[in-house]
Amino acid sequence: MALLEVCGYRDEDRSAGPLGARGRFVDRSSHFSFGVKTAEFAVPVGVDPQAFLSPYTAGEGNVRIHLNHGTTTLAFKFQHGVVVAVDSRASAGNYIDSKDANKVIEINPYLLGTMSGSAADCQYWERLLAKECRLFKLRNKERISVCAASKLLSNMMCEYRGMGLSMGSMICGWDKQGPGLYYVDDDGTRLSGQLFSTGCGSSYAYGVVDSGYRYELSVEEAYDLGRRAIAHATHRDAYSGGVVNLYHMRQDGWIKICKDDVAELIHQYALENK
Amino acid sequence: MALQDICRQPHTPAFPYSHKWNDPISLALAGGDTNTVLGWGGSAPLPFYTPFSANPSLRAQTPNRAPQSPIPGRAGVTVPFELAHGTTTLSFKFQGGVIAAADTRSSCAGYVECPTAQKVIPIHSHLVGTTSGTSADCMLWKRILSRECRLYQLRSSAPLPVRGAARLLAAALARFKGTELCVAATLCGWDRAGPALHYVYSDGTRLEGQLFSVGSGSPYAYSVLDREYRFDMSVPEAYALARNAVYHATHRDAYSGGCVDLYHVTESGWRKIGRDDLLPVYYQKKGGGVVLGSEGGRCCVVLKGEGWCVGSPLEQGGEPVLTTSHPGGGGWVLTWGCVGSEVGEGVVRGFPPHGGGGGVRGF
Repeated sequence: MALLEVCGYRDEDRSAGPLGARGRFVDRSSHFSFGVKTAEFAVPVGVDPQAFLSPYTAGEGNVRIHLNHGTTTLAFKFQHGVVVAVDSRASAGNYIDSKDANKVIEINPYLLGTMSGSAADCQYWERLLAKECRLFKLRNKERISVCAASKLLSNMMCEYRGMGLSMGSMICGWDKQGPGLYYVDDDGTRLSGQLFSTGCGSSYAYGVVDSGYRYELSVEEAYDLGRRAIAHATHRDAYSGGVVNLYHMRQDGWIKICKDDVAELIHQYALENK
Repeated sequence: MALQDICRQPHTPAFPYSHKWNDPISLALAGGDTNTVLGWGGSAPLPFYTPFSANPSLRAQTPNRAPQSPIPGRAGVTVPFELAHGTTTLSFKFQGGVIAAADTRSSCAGYVECPTAQKVIPIHSHLVGTTSGTSADCMLWKRILSRECRLYQLRSSAPLPVRGAARLLAAALARFKGTELCVAATLCGWDRAGPALHYVYSDGTRLEGQLFSVGSGSPYAYSVLDREYRFDMSVPEAYALARNAVYHATHRDAYSGGCVDLYHVTESGWRKIGRDDLLPVYYQKKGGGVVLGSEGGRCCVVLKGEGWCVGSPLEQGGEPVLTTSHPGGGGWVLTWGCVGSEVGEGVVRGFPPHGGGGGVRGF
């Protein structure tokens, strides 16, 4: 994907196509331009998505499309880096689509992105972000910073604002400024912070993490805190479950710590409490 | 209210039907087409309107946002503003009885209407109820429940068990199903069967359990409670857990805040443990231990670690630890408790803690 772009390969000649010069308004595979030439949106011709969707997402009528982020993900910075913990349940309305979904995208060995919201949107846009990060590295011979990567994602979300995207993501990494953690939302919010949790199980996770979080946590304590928070959130939230996928972002890159079943964790915590 | 009924007071303009008995069975039955008073069996009205529930087709047509008019024939009026339900209340049973705790912020359409509301309301000597939902509805229905419990006790010379009180409340609220009434209450009490905890919601839910948290801040409180709750906790641990859970909920939820009210129900009745300001807890958790001193150097209170500790009290007239004073000269009214020792109450005029600097000694 990235290499094709760099080599300037184009799969069809626009001016010679059946629509001629008007072909530039037609949907194409590559539509996000990193500040070069013309900025285009890939939307169906003749449709204004924002006007079409706004009565259903923000209006007061009886028909509403509820874009809920049915998951629990969390990430926090501490003295030894960034801990990222996510659950693994993918739900489609009331149906559990998968109990082993992967909600962390490994962009490069120094950058991770979490996903909550619409799985399709998250996977597509974060993969697009991964492509842009790779292009940046090829063009500039150095890795992209976490700040810039989150800004790219946030710009993508801003361009498609109001058009029905649903994505709540945390971009975590380690760059020249040290550990980085940014929260990026589908309405263009981009926040830097020490601790974030997203998804509908986030309120449960916040309770546990707030009560145990300190910057001076040791590595094992931080892992335990992340696991506990996700486990307690999956215990109460119907849309979270499966396993806890735990990552630790360190100075020399990220490592995957564990993949623990939440049922076993809850049972283990209950036994500890007795 | 109840006594007037018993003493068969003659007609007075304020209570025109007070000489009639109020049969609890009739409370749950559909009243009728009276359009002036609440027809709880038509016998003992309470002075407010009821939706006209005798016509089921009318009820089915009306959506939630346009409650029915009590006067038949007139169209329903839409509510001019969203009724806000923001709170954090929690209650749990443990070996030492039942604990009920709640925050004290009463919010209305995005502003804090009252920072010192009371959300845990005593119903009778062995029963308290936490309230969540619209505060006016909760206050009224709790008072009605108190009245009915008292009447039951007077008639049958035995107190109404908590389960019965929950059923009574649920049945009374069932008449208003489909309207804007919103009452989510947990009844925490001690009856002949021991400690009892029931949750009643105005949509008809009625549950019995060990642990409940209700309100917009409840998810935050649930996870803290789930983490630490054990049935065989000691009493100070239970107090600390309840306060901690409410604190974390108020920290994250915009509609919860203020202070935390704590009630403990045992075999000898309910007891208010205290009302503790949560703002110092934030500073304490942010910056480690903090010393608060009084103006006259009377007492020194140290907030330390996860709980609340009473430090060594300074002698009368001793030198206060705090060397800088708050610009406004004011302080907070604070009640304090201690994990592992006796709960103390009182007023300490303290200074807001400064985060680590400014002459305040921290731990």
